[in-house]
Amino acid sequence: MTQIMKGIKVVEVAQFVFVPATGAVLAEWGADVIKVEHPVRGDAQRGMRQIAGVTFDPVANPMIQHPNKGKRSIGIDVGKPEGQALIYELCKDADVFLTNYLPAVRQKLKIDLEHIRAANPQIIYARGSGYGNKGEDRDRGGYDATAFYIHSGIAHALTPEEYDVPLTMGVGGMGDSQAGMHLAGGIAGALFHRERTGETSEVDVSLLSTAMWMAGMVIAPYLHTGKQMRVGIPQAGGSAWNPFMGHFPTSDGRAISLFIMVPDHYIKDTFIHLGLPEAAEDPRFASGAKLTENSALVSKMISEAFAAKPFDYWREHLKTMKGQWAAVNSFLDLGDDQQAIANDAFYKVDPIDGSPPLRVVRGPVQFNSEAFHAPRAPEAFEHTEQILLEHGLDWERIERLKTAGAIA
Amino acid sequence: MKPGTRLKSAVCDTEVMVIRSGDGQIECGGAAMVEAKTGNTGEPSADLAAGTLMGKRYVDAAGAYELLCVKPGKGSLSVDGAVLVTKDAKPLPASD
Repeated sequence: MTQIMKGIKVVEVAQFVFVPATGAVLAEWGADVIKVEHPVRGDAQRGMRQIAGVTFDPVANPMIQHPNKGKRSIGIDVGKPEGQALIYELCKDADVFLTNYLPAVRQKLKIDLEHIRAANPQIIYARGSGYGNKGEDRDRGGYDATAFYIHSGIAHALTPEEYDVPLTMGVGGMGDSQAGMHLAGGIAGALFHRERTGETSEVDVSLLSTAMWMAGMVIAPYLHTGKQMRVGIPQAGGSAWNPFMGHFPTSDGRAISLFIMVPDHYIKDTFIHLGLPEAAEDPRFASGAKLTENSALVSKMISEAFAAKPFDYWREHLKTMKGQWAAVNSFLDLGDDQQAIANDAFYKVDPIDGSPPLRVVRGPVQFNSEAFHAPRAPEAFEHTEQILLEHGLDWERIERLKTAGAIA
Repeated sequence: MKPGTRLKSAVCDTEVMVIRSGDGQIECGGAAMVEAKTGNTGEPSADLAAGTLMGKRYVDAAGAYELLCVKPGKGSLSVDGAVLVTKDAKPLPASD
Protein backbone atom coordinates (compact mmCIF):
# COMPACT_ATOMS: atom_id res chain seq x y z
CA MET A 1 0.00 0.00 0.00
CA THR A 2 1.37 3.40 -0.97
CA GLN A 3 1.78 5.46 2.19
CA ILE A 4 2.95 8.89 1.12
CA MET A 5 3.15 10.11 4.75
CA LYS A 6 4.97 7.10 6.17
CA GLY A 7 7.61 8.27 8.63
CA ILE A 8 5.89 11.62 9.19
CA LYS A 9 5.02 12.38 12.79
CA VAL A 10 2.11 14.64 13.61
CA VAL A 11 1.12 16.04 17.00
CA GLU A 12 -2.52 17.08 17.07
CA VAL A 13 -4.01 19.34 19.74
CA ALA A 14 -7.49 19.78 18.32
CA GLN A 15 -11.13 18.96 18.90
CA PHE A 16 -14.36 18.27 17.05
CA VAL A 17 -14.08 17.57 13.30
CA PHE A 18 -12.24 20.12 11.16
CA VAL A 19 -8.62 19.80 12.26
CA PRO A 20 -8.96 16.25 13.62
CA ALA A 21 -10.14 15.32 10.10
CA THR A 22 -6.80 16.63 8.81
CA GLY A 23 -5.07 14.26 11.21
CA ALA A 24 -7.29 11.41 10.03
CA VAL A 25 -6.39 12.06 6.39
CA LEU A 26 -2.68 12.16 7.24
CA ALA A 27 -3.09 8.93 9.23
CA GLU A 28 -4.79 7.24 6.29
CA TRP A 29 -1.84 8.35 4.19
CA GLY A 30 0.50 6.63 6.64
CA ALA A 31 1.54 9.29 9.16
CA ASP A 32 1.96 8.57 12.87
CA VAL A 33 -0.64 10.92 14.33
CA ILE A 34 -0.60 11.50 18.07
CA LYS A 35 -3.89 12.92 19.24
CA VAL A 36 -3.62 14.88 22.46
CA GLU A 37 -6.80 14.80 24.53
CA HIS A 38 -7.81 16.46 27.78
CA PRO A 39 -7.24 13.87 30.55
CA VAL A 40 -10.79 14.12 31.90
CA ARG A 41 -13.04 15.26 29.09
CA GLY A 42 -11.22 13.92 26.05
CA ASP A 43 -11.95 15.40 22.64
CA ALA A 44 -15.31 17.22 22.76
CA GLN A 45 -16.27 15.17 19.70
CA ARG A 46 -16.60 12.18 22.05
CA GLY A 47 -19.69 13.93 23.41
CA MET A 48 -21.28 13.88 19.94
CA ARG A 49 -23.27 10.71 20.22
CA GLN A 50 -26.66 11.60 18.83
CA ILE A 51 -27.83 11.87 15.27
CA ALA A 52 -31.19 11.26 13.57
CA GLY A 53 -32.79 10.38 16.88
CA VAL A 54 -30.26 7.63 17.61
CA THR A 55 -27.91 7.72 20.60
CA PHE A 56 -24.72 5.72 20.24
CA ASP A 57 -22.88 3.83 22.91
CA PRO A 58 -19.56 5.65 23.40
CA VAL A 59 -17.55 2.51 22.61
CA ALA A 60 -19.17 1.95 19.22
CA ASN A 61 -19.75 5.53 18.14
CA PRO A 62 -19.33 6.10 14.39
CA MET A 63 -19.20 9.85 14.99
CA ILE A 64 -15.78 9.66 16.61
CA GLN A 65 -14.38 7.48 13.79
CA HIS A 66 -14.53 9.76 10.75
CA PRO A 67 -12.25 12.47 12.16
CA ASN A 68 -9.98 10.16 14.17
CA LYS A 69 -9.27 6.94 12.31
CA GLY A 70 -5.77 5.61 12.51
CA LYS A 71 -4.51 7.81 15.34
CA ARG A 72 -3.06 7.11 18.74
CA SER A 73 -4.47 8.98 21.73
CA ILE A 74 -2.58 10.42 24.67
CA GLY A 75 -4.21 12.14 27.63
CA ILE A 76 -2.31 15.33 28.52
CA ASP A 77 -3.50 18.36 30.48
CA VAL A 78 -1.98 21.13 28.37
CA GLY A 79 -3.09 23.62 31.01
CA LYS A 80 -0.39 22.35 33.38
CA PRO A 81 3.33 23.16 32.99
CA GLU A 82 4.16 19.43 33.16
CA GLY A 83 1.69 18.84 30.34
CA GLN A 84 3.19 21.63 28.26
CA ALA A 85 6.66 20.16 28.77
CA LEU A 86 5.34 16.87 27.42
CA ILE A 87 3.89 18.57 24.35
CA TYR A 88 7.32 20.06 23.65
CA GLU A 89 8.93 16.65 24.06
CA LEU A 90 6.48 15.11 21.61
CA CYS A 91 7.14 17.96 19.18
CA LYS A 92 10.92 17.74 19.29
CA ASP A 93 11.13 15.21 16.48
CA ALA A 94 7.66 15.78 15.01
CA ASP A 95 7.13 17.08 11.49
CA VAL A 96 3.77 18.73 11.96
CA PHE A 97 1.90 20.42 14.80
CA LEU A 98 -1.80 20.57 14.20
CA THR A 99 -4.27 22.72 16.14
CA ASN A 100 -7.66 24.39 15.99
CA TYR A 101 -7.42 26.11 19.37
CA LEU A 102 -8.14 29.83 19.32
CA PRO A 103 -5.21 32.28 19.52
CA ALA A 104 -5.86 33.30 23.12
CA VAL A 105 -6.06 29.67 24.21
CA ARG A 106 -2.87 28.80 22.34
CA GLN A 107 -1.15 31.63 24.19
CA LYS A 108 -2.54 30.57 27.55
CA LEU A 109 -1.59 26.93 26.98
CA LYS A 110 1.81 27.96 25.55
CA ILE A 111 1.30 26.00 22.37
CA ASP A 112 1.37 28.96 20.01
CA LEU A 113 3.82 29.20 17.15
CA GLU A 114 6.71 30.56 19.21
CA HIS A 115 6.36 27.91 21.92
CA ILE A 116 6.23 24.97 19.54
CA ARG A 117 8.98 26.35 17.30
CA ALA A 118 11.17 26.82 20.40
CA ALA A 119 10.90 23.06 20.89
CA ASN A 120 11.44 22.32 17.21
CA PRO A 121 12.42 25.16 14.82
CA GLN A 122 11.72 22.99 11.78
CA ILE A 123 8.20 21.91 12.65
CA ILE A 124 5.37 22.78 10.29
CA TYR A 125 2.76 24.66 12.32
CA ALA A 126 -0.73 24.09 10.93
CA ARG A 127 -3.75 26.01 12.15
CA GLY A 128 -7.39 25.51 11.36
CA SER A 129 -9.73 28.36 12.28
CA GLY A 130 -13.24 29.60 11.77
CA TYR A 131 -12.47 32.89 10.09
CA GLY A 132 -8.74 32.92 9.31
CA ASN A 133 -5.57 33.91 11.11
CA LYS A 134 -5.88 37.64 10.37
CA GLY A 135 -8.48 40.28 11.10
CA GLU A 136 -10.58 40.78 14.20
CA ASP A 137 -12.52 37.55 13.79
CA ARG A 138 -9.36 35.47 14.18
CA ASP A 139 -10.25 35.40 17.89
CA ARG A 140 -13.79 34.22 17.26
CA GLY A 141 -14.74 30.58 17.50
CA GLY A 142 -16.82 28.98 14.81
CA TYR A 143 -18.38 25.79 13.57
CA ASP A 144 -18.94 24.91 9.96
CA ALA A 145 -22.61 25.75 10.53
CA THR A 146 -21.55 29.36 11.18
CA ALA A 147 -18.26 30.34 9.52
CA PHE A 148 -18.46 27.92 6.60
CA TYR A 149 -22.17 27.84 5.91
CA ILE A 150 -23.66 31.13 7.03
CA HIS A 151 -20.94 33.78 7.00
CA SER A 152 -19.71 32.64 3.60
CA GLY A 153 -23.03 33.22 1.85
CA ILE A 154 -23.40 29.52 1.05
CA ALA A 155 -26.61 29.20 3.09
CA HIS A 156 -28.08 32.28 1.45
CA ALA A 157 -27.18 31.01 -2.01
CA LEU A 158 -28.72 27.57 -1.43
CA THR A 159 -31.94 28.93 0.07
CA PRO A 160 -34.92 29.60 -2.19
CA GLU A 161 -35.48 33.33 -2.37
CA GLU A 162 -39.03 32.86 -1.13
CA TYR A 163 -37.66 32.14 2.37
CA ASP A 164 -36.57 34.83 4.81
CA VAL A 165 -34.20 32.58 6.74
CA PRO A 166 -31.68 30.09 5.37
CA LEU A 167 -32.05 26.35 4.95
CA THR A 168 -30.56 24.36 7.81
CA MET A 169 -27.16 22.88 7.01
CA GLY A 170 -28.46 19.37 6.59
CA VAL A 171 -25.06 17.69 6.38
CA GLY A 172 -23.26 17.91 9.71
CA GLY A 173 -19.52 18.33 9.35
CA MET A 174 -19.63 19.09 5.63
CA GLY A 175 -17.49 22.19 5.97
CA ASP A 176 -15.23 20.62 8.57
CA SER A 177 -14.37 17.58 6.48
CA GLN A 178 -13.62 19.67 3.41
CA ALA A 179 -11.54 22.19 5.32
CA GLY A 180 -9.72 19.29 6.96
CA MET A 181 -8.84 17.90 3.56
CA HIS A 182 -7.59 21.31 2.39
CA LEU A 183 -5.38 21.60 5.46
CA ALA A 184 -3.98 18.12 4.81
CA GLY A 185 -3.19 19.21 1.25
CA GLY A 186 -1.49 22.36 2.52
CA ILE A 187 0.59 20.32 4.94
CA ALA A 188 1.62 17.94 2.15
CA GLY A 189 2.81 20.98 0.18
CA ALA A 190 4.63 22.40 3.21
CA LEU A 191 6.41 19.07 3.75
CA PHE A 192 7.44 19.02 0.10
CA HIS A 193 8.72 22.58 0.33
CA ARG A 194 10.66 21.83 3.52
CA GLU A 195 12.17 18.75 1.89
CA ARG A 196 13.35 20.76 -1.12
CA THR A 197 14.49 23.97 0.53
CA GLY A 198 14.91 23.23 4.22
CA GLU A 199 12.42 26.00 4.99
CA THR A 200 9.51 25.26 7.22
CA SER A 201 6.20 27.11 7.08
CA GLU A 202 2.98 27.90 8.87
CA VAL A 203 -0.15 26.60 7.19
CA ASP A 204 -3.60 28.14 7.64
CA VAL A 205 -6.99 27.05 6.42
CA SER A 206 -10.26 28.47 7.71
CA LEU A 207 -13.82 27.29 7.42
CA LEU A 208 -14.65 30.59 5.77
CA SER A 209 -11.85 30.34 3.19
CA THR A 210 -12.90 26.76 2.42
CA ALA A 211 -16.48 27.81 1.70
CA MET A 212 -15.40 30.78 -0.40
CA TRP A 213 -13.10 28.60 -2.45
CA MET A 214 -15.92 26.10 -2.91
CA ALA A 215 -18.09 28.94 -4.26
CA GLY A 216 -15.28 30.75 -6.08
CA MET A 217 -16.61 29.81 -9.52
CA VAL A 218 -19.70 31.95 -8.95
CA ILE A 219 -18.47 34.52 -6.45
CA ALA A 220 -16.12 36.01 -9.07
CA PRO A 221 -18.82 36.73 -11.69
CA TYR A 222 -21.32 37.87 -9.06
CA LEU A 223 -18.87 40.38 -7.63
CA HIS A 224 -17.88 41.50 -11.10
CA THR A 225 -21.44 42.23 -12.14
CA GLY A 226 -22.94 43.08 -8.77
CA LYS A 227 -25.73 40.63 -9.52
CA GLN A 228 -26.37 37.29 -7.83
CA MET A 229 -28.66 34.55 -9.02
CA ARG A 230 -31.09 33.19 -6.44
CA VAL A 231 -32.70 29.79 -6.55
CA GLY A 232 -36.43 29.33 -6.23
CA ILE A 233 -38.49 26.67 -4.50
CA PRO A 234 -37.71 23.32 -6.16
CA GLN A 235 -40.05 22.42 -9.00
CA ALA A 236 -40.50 19.11 -10.76
CA GLY A 237 -39.97 19.08 -14.53
CA GLY A 238 -37.57 20.50 -17.08
CA SER A 239 -36.35 24.07 -17.06
CA ALA A 240 -37.88 26.63 -19.39
CA TRP A 241 -34.49 27.30 -20.96
CA ASN A 242 -33.47 23.67 -21.37
CA PRO A 243 -36.02 20.94 -20.70
CA PHE A 244 -33.19 18.38 -20.63
CA MET A 245 -32.29 19.87 -17.26
CA GLY A 246 -34.51 19.26 -14.29
CA HIS A 247 -35.76 16.84 -11.67
CA PHE A 248 -38.38 14.28 -12.69
CA PRO A 249 -40.48 12.22 -10.24
CA THR A 250 -40.71 8.50 -10.93
CA SER A 251 -43.81 6.34 -10.50
CA ASP A 252 -42.77 5.34 -6.97
CA GLY A 253 -42.24 8.85 -5.63
CA ARG A 254 -38.52 9.13 -6.10
CA ALA A 255 -36.73 11.25 -8.67
CA ILE A 256 -34.18 11.27 -11.46
CA SER A 257 -32.24 14.40 -12.39
CA LEU A 258 -31.20 15.29 -15.91
CA PHE A 259 -28.42 17.78 -16.42
CA ILE A 260 -27.77 17.71 -20.14
CA MET A 261 -26.36 21.21 -20.28
CA VAL A 262 -25.34 21.13 -23.96
CA PRO A 263 -28.17 19.04 -25.40
CA ASP A 264 -27.61 19.19 -29.17
CA HIS A 265 -25.61 15.98 -29.55
CA TYR A 266 -27.74 14.06 -27.09
CA ILE A 267 -31.27 14.78 -28.30
CA LYS A 268 -32.01 11.55 -30.17
CA ASP A 269 -30.28 9.31 -27.63
CA THR A 270 -32.09 10.97 -24.75
CA PHE A 271 -35.55 10.69 -26.25
CA ILE A 272 -34.93 7.04 -27.20
CA HIS A 273 -33.82 6.22 -23.66
CA LEU A 274 -36.88 7.96 -22.27
CA GLY A 275 -39.10 5.76 -24.44
CA LEU A 276 -40.05 8.62 -26.78
CA PRO A 277 -38.71 7.41 -30.18
CA GLU A 278 -41.14 9.57 -32.17
CA ALA A 279 -39.81 12.69 -30.40
CA ALA A 280 -36.31 11.69 -31.42
CA GLU A 281 -37.28 12.23 -35.06
CA ASP A 282 -39.53 15.25 -34.50
CA PRO A 283 -38.15 18.35 -36.26
CA ARG A 284 -39.65 20.56 -33.50
CA PHE A 285 -37.04 19.16 -31.11
CA ALA A 286 -34.08 18.84 -33.48
CA SER A 287 -31.68 21.29 -31.78
CA GLY A 288 -30.97 22.89 -28.45
CA ALA A 289 -32.57 26.12 -29.62
CA LYS A 290 -35.72 24.26 -30.71
CA LEU A 291 -35.90 22.48 -27.35
CA THR A 292 -35.95 25.91 -25.74
CA GLU A 293 -38.74 27.07 -28.07
CA ASN A 294 -40.83 24.04 -27.15
CA SER A 295 -39.63 23.56 -23.60
CA ALA A 296 -43.06 23.34 -21.96
CA LEU A 297 -44.13 20.54 -24.26
CA VAL A 298 -40.83 18.65 -23.95
CA SER A 299 -40.85 19.01 -20.17
CA LYS A 300 -44.38 17.57 -20.08
CA MET A 301 -43.40 14.61 -22.29
CA ILE A 302 -40.31 13.81 -20.24
CA SER A 303 -42.20 14.18 -16.97
CA GLU A 304 -44.88 11.75 -18.14
CA ALA A 305 -42.25 9.28 -19.32
CA PHE A 306 -40.45 9.28 -15.95
CA ALA A 307 -43.73 9.12 -14.03
CA ALA A 308 -44.69 5.90 -15.85
CA LYS A 309 -41.92 3.75 -14.40
CA PRO A 310 -40.21 3.28 -11.03
CA PHE A 311 -36.91 4.62 -9.80
CA ASP A 312 -35.06 1.29 -10.03
CA TYR A 313 -36.11 0.87 -13.65
CA TRP A 314 -34.68 4.26 -14.59
CA ARG A 315 -31.54 3.79 -12.59
CA GLU A 316 -30.78 0.62 -14.56
CA HIS A 317 -32.16 1.71 -17.91
CA LEU A 318 -30.34 5.04 -18.12
CA LYS A 319 -26.93 3.43 -17.63
CA THR A 320 -26.43 3.40 -21.41
CA MET A 321 -27.73 6.94 -21.96
CA LYS A 322 -25.05 9.31 -23.22
CA GLY A 323 -26.44 12.52 -21.71
CA GLN A 324 -25.71 13.44 -18.11
CA TRP A 325 -28.06 12.30 -15.38
CA ALA A 326 -28.09 11.12 -11.82
CA ALA A 327 -30.44 9.23 -9.56
CA VAL A 328 -31.52 11.30 -6.56
CA ASN A 329 -29.89 9.18 -3.86
CA SER A 330 -30.05 9.42 -0.12
CA PHE A 331 -26.98 8.75 2.00
CA LEU A 332 -28.61 5.45 2.90
CA ASP A 333 -28.69 4.57 -0.82
CA LEU A 334 -24.95 5.19 -0.96
CA GLY A 335 -24.38 2.28 1.38
CA ASP A 336 -25.33 -0.05 -1.49
CA ASP A 337 -24.16 2.17 -4.33
CA GLN A 338 -22.23 -0.06 -6.70
CA GLN A 339 -20.24 2.82 -8.16
CA ALA A 340 -19.19 4.10 -4.76
CA ILE A 341 -18.28 0.57 -3.68
CA ALA A 342 -16.37 -0.11 -6.92
CA ASN A 343 -14.22 2.89 -6.05
CA ASP A 344 -13.52 1.71 -2.51
CA ALA A 345 -15.59 4.49 -0.96
CA PHE A 346 -15.92 2.70 2.37
CA TYR A 347 -13.94 0.64 4.75
CA LYS A 348 -14.76 -1.06 7.98
CA VAL A 349 -13.46 -0.42 11.44
CA ASP A 350 -14.09 -2.77 14.32
CA PRO A 351 -15.58 -1.38 17.53
CA ILE A 352 -13.77 -2.55 20.64
CA ASP A 353 -16.86 -4.26 22.06
CA GLY A 354 -17.09 -6.80 19.26
CA SER A 355 -20.28 -5.24 17.91
CA PRO A 356 -20.74 -5.18 14.11
CA PRO A 357 -18.11 -3.27 12.12
CA LEU A 358 -18.76 0.39 11.37
CA ARG A 359 -18.52 1.50 7.76
CA VAL A 360 -16.64 4.75 7.34
CA VAL A 361 -15.95 6.85 4.26
CA ARG A 362 -12.43 6.56 2.93
CA GLY A 363 -10.49 9.75 2.20
CA PRO A 364 -11.18 11.03 -1.32
CA VAL A 365 -7.62 10.89 -2.69
CA GLN A 366 -6.28 7.64 -4.14
CA PHE A 367 -2.66 6.83 -4.88
CA ASN A 368 -2.08 4.15 -7.54
CA SER A 369 -5.78 3.30 -7.36
CA GLU A 370 -5.12 1.59 -4.06
CA ALA A 371 -7.66 1.36 -1.28
CA PHE A 372 -5.75 2.45 1.79
CA HIS A 373 -7.27 2.17 5.19
CA ALA A 374 -6.54 2.97 8.79
CA PRO A 375 -7.54 1.16 11.96
CA ARG A 376 -10.33 2.38 14.24
CA ALA A 377 -10.14 5.65 16.13
CA PRO A 378 -8.38 5.26 19.47
CA GLU A 379 -10.16 5.14 22.78
CA ALA A 380 -9.45 8.28 24.79
CA PHE A 381 -5.91 8.05 26.27
CA GLU A 382 -5.46 4.53 24.92
CA HIS A 383 -1.79 5.00 24.09
CA THR A 384 -0.53 7.37 26.80
CA GLU A 385 2.09 5.08 28.33
CA GLN A 386 3.10 3.53 25.02
CA ILE A 387 3.82 6.95 23.53
CA LEU A 388 5.60 8.26 26.65
CA LEU A 389 7.80 5.15 26.88
CA GLU A 390 8.69 5.59 23.20
CA HIS A 391 9.76 9.13 24.04
CA GLY A 392 12.13 7.90 26.71
CA LEU A 393 10.07 8.54 29.83
CA ASP A 394 10.37 5.94 32.58
CA TRP A 395 7.57 4.55 34.71
CA GLU A 396 8.64 6.67 37.66
CA ARG A 397 8.09 9.88 35.74
CA ILE A 398 4.89 8.54 34.23
CA GLU A 399 3.61 7.86 37.75
CA ARG A 400 4.57 11.37 38.90
CA LEU A 401 2.78 12.93 35.93
CA LYS A 402 -0.26 10.79 36.62
CA THR A 403 -0.32 11.78 40.29
CA ALA A 404 -0.06 15.43 39.27
CA GLY A 405 -3.06 14.97 36.97
CA ALA A 406 -0.94 16.02 33.98
CA ILE A 407 -1.65 12.83 32.07
CA ALA A 408 -4.34 10.18 31.89
CA MET B 1 3.11 -5.02 41.00
CA LYS B 2 5.47 -2.93 38.92
CA PRO B 3 3.91 -0.53 36.41
CA GLY B 4 4.35 -1.86 32.91
CA THR B 5 3.86 -5.47 34.02
CA ARG B 6 1.72 -7.52 31.67
CA LEU B 7 -0.82 -9.74 33.37
CA LYS B 8 -2.89 -12.48 31.80
CA SER B 9 -6.25 -13.82 32.83
CA ALA B 10 -6.23 -17.41 34.06
CA VAL B 11 -9.77 -17.96 32.78
CA CYS B 12 -10.13 -15.98 29.51
CA ASP B 13 -8.14 -14.14 26.82
CA THR B 14 -7.87 -10.88 28.73
CA GLU B 15 -4.44 -9.29 29.06
CA VAL B 16 -3.71 -6.03 30.83
CA MET B 17 -0.81 -3.71 31.37
CA VAL B 18 -0.51 -2.62 34.96
CA ILE B 19 -0.37 1.17 35.07
CA ARG B 20 -0.91 1.59 38.83
CA SER B 21 -1.30 -0.91 41.57
CA GLY B 22 -1.23 -1.52 45.31
CA ASP B 23 -0.64 -4.73 47.21
CA GLY B 24 -4.02 -6.33 46.53
CA GLN B 25 -4.69 -9.28 44.26
CA ILE B 26 -5.55 -8.40 40.69
CA GLU B 27 -8.15 -10.76 39.27
CA CYS B 28 -10.01 -11.45 36.06
CA GLY B 29 -13.19 -13.48 35.99
CA GLY B 30 -12.69 -14.02 39.71
CA ALA B 31 -9.29 -15.72 39.35
CA ALA B 32 -5.90 -14.15 40.14
CA MET B 33 -4.14 -12.84 37.02
CA VAL B 34 -0.74 -14.26 36.19
CA GLU B 35 2.39 -13.13 34.37
CA ALA B 36 2.88 -16.41 32.52
CA LYS B 37 0.26 -18.94 31.61
CA THR B 38 -0.01 -22.05 29.56
CA GLY B 39 -3.77 -22.19 29.18
CA ASN B 40 -7.03 -21.28 30.85
CA THR B 41 -7.65 -23.03 34.14
CA GLY B 42 -11.42 -22.58 34.04
CA GLU B 43 -14.19 -20.17 33.08
CA PRO B 44 -14.87 -16.69 34.45
CA SER B 45 -17.33 -16.92 37.34
CA ALA B 46 -20.82 -15.99 36.24
CA ASP B 47 -20.97 -12.69 38.14
CA LEU B 48 -17.56 -11.62 36.81
CA ALA B 49 -18.10 -12.25 33.11
CA ALA B 50 -19.05 -8.83 31.71
CA GLY B 51 -15.89 -8.84 29.58
CA THR B 52 -13.01 -6.46 28.99
CA LEU B 53 -12.63 -3.97 26.14
CA MET B 54 -9.45 -3.36 24.17
CA GLY B 55 -7.85 -0.01 24.91
CA LYS B 56 -10.01 0.71 27.96
CA ARG B 57 -8.58 1.57 31.36
CA TYR B 58 -10.01 -0.08 34.45
CA VAL B 59 -9.80 1.64 37.80
CA ASP B 60 -10.96 1.21 41.38
CA ALA B 61 -12.92 3.78 43.34
CA ALA B 62 -9.91 4.93 45.36
CA GLY B 63 -7.71 5.45 42.30
CA ALA B 64 -5.08 3.03 43.62
CA TYR B 65 -5.35 0.67 40.65
CA GLU B 66 -5.33 1.27 36.92
CA LEU B 67 -5.12 -1.50 34.35
CA LEU B 68 -4.99 -0.92 30.59
CA CYS B 69 -6.64 -3.68 28.59
CA VAL B 70 -4.29 -4.75 25.78
CA LYS B 71 -6.24 -7.86 24.83
CA PRO B 72 -9.96 -8.30 25.45
CA GLY B 73 -11.64 -11.31 26.99
CA LYS B 74 -14.81 -12.53 28.69
CA GLY B 75 -13.92 -11.96 32.33
CA SER B 76 -14.37 -8.83 34.45
CA LEU B 77 -11.43 -7.25 36.23
CA SER B 78 -11.39 -6.93 40.00
CA VAL B 79 -9.03 -6.36 42.92
CA ASP B 80 -9.58 -8.46 46.03
CA GLY B 81 -13.10 -9.10 44.81
CA ALA B 82 -14.02 -5.44 44.16
CA VAL B 83 -14.95 -4.98 40.50
CA LEU B 84 -13.01 -2.34 38.57
CA VAL B 85 -14.82 0.12 36.31
CA THR B 86 -13.78 1.71 33.04
CA LYS B 87 -12.21 5.13 33.18
CA ASP B 88 -14.00 7.01 30.42
CA ALA B 89 -13.63 10.45 28.95
CA LYS B 90 -16.37 12.71 30.25
CA PRO B 91 -17.10 15.09 27.39
CA LEU B 92 -19.87 17.63 27.64
CA PRO B 93 -22.96 16.49 25.77
CA ALA B 94 -23.27 17.89 22.26
CA SER B 95 -25.43 17.26 19.23
CA ASP B 96 -25.28 17.94 15.53
